[in-house]
Amino acid sequence: MPVEIVEAPPNVLLNSVVKNLTALAARAWMKRWMITFTAPTGIGKTTAVDYAERTLPFDHRVIHCKQITTRYTMLRTLGLGPGEKWTNHGRNWMRASDLYDRAVERIRERPYLLIIDEADRLSMDCFEILRDFWDDARLPMLLVGNEVLTQKLNRQHERLFRRIRVRFEQRLLGEADQRKVLEFMGYEVADEEFALLWKLVGGSPGFAEALLENANEIAASKGAKRGIEALEGAVRYFPTCKKVV
Amino acid sequence: MHEIVRRAINARPELTVELLRRGMFEPEEKAELLQSVPMRGSGLSGLPLGPVQFATLLAEGDTQLAARVVTRKILRANELTWLDRLLRFRSPNEKRDELARIVERALEGREGNARRNR
Repeated sequence: MPVEIVEAPPNVLLNSVVKNLTALAARAWMKRWMITFTAPTGIGKTTAVDYAERTLPFDHRVIHCKQITTRYTMLRTLGLGPGEKWTNHGRNWMRASDLYDRAVERIRERPYLLIIDEADRLSMDCFEILRDFWDDARLPMLLVGNEVLTQKLNRQHERLFRRIRVRFEQRLLGEADQRKVLEFMGYEVADEEFALLWKLVGGSPGFAEALLENANEIAASKGAKRGIEALEGAVRYFPTCKKVV
Repeated sequence: MHEIVRRAINARPELTVELLRRGMFEPEEKAELLQSVPMRGSGLSGLPLGPVQFATLLAEGDTQLAARVVTRKILRANELTWLDRLLRFRSPNEKRDELARIVERALEGREGNARRNR
């Protein structure tokens, strides 16, 4: 069945990252595949996941991973139905194995696509659970993360790695795309500022935003408008960028 | 010398000044710090840092000092959010992961550190 993509919300720029991620999500769902989407930090993966969350026209769930995500919290999220709230606290807690059975049952009753943002932060046992979900319920998945995700899967989770059908690596944005994204984010960047940003962070709008915000604050503290001096001042705060300059 | 004071002395001066300005240190620590790093007048020289500047200095600096700053509740919500974002730009290591966990817990309103069983 062809998947129709709903129109973009006005606050998202439909660039290659967003398009590729939504297309892969649709593919993972249609083919019931496990797919990884990797890209460097700051390129706009989370924005693309948020866009997909709001627009994908089929059942899907998104887990935004954190460093504090554990196997139990993941199972708890997947064990809940849509709109259901967790009420089993204290003495009524559920064992992980019961939660797992419940989640598998729910997936079998009503399958969905599982999108995991920042999957590179998942711990070893969480990856094992994902493999179990795949084996027991054929849960289609889109794992989104940075380069660390590929390394982690390669080195530590060979059994999961073998089950992944597509491994997509998103390239950094080109100069024109980067400029478009920054304009879309509301930054008026002069040519010399853009040249410096490009040299420092390449096609990573997230990193560029951090530098520009720092530069804005430096300029504001001097009662001036942001210029190349303020941007150069901001670079001092990022030791890795400083080396490039 | 208190460990936190030693770390504050080694940090970037604008960060140390900002921490002093925000009342991060206990009276003993403050006295020790001012004794070691003579600052002009009351020790509050320099302009206050903006939220992104402050978060950037923490993210790019000493992880253990940053962790103390978070657990001592010096940061505002928007600064915590920025710190959480900026930490992801750095390549992960054990200390930085620990800091990220502390920041996430602070964002959820939980207290204390977040040491994981090893």
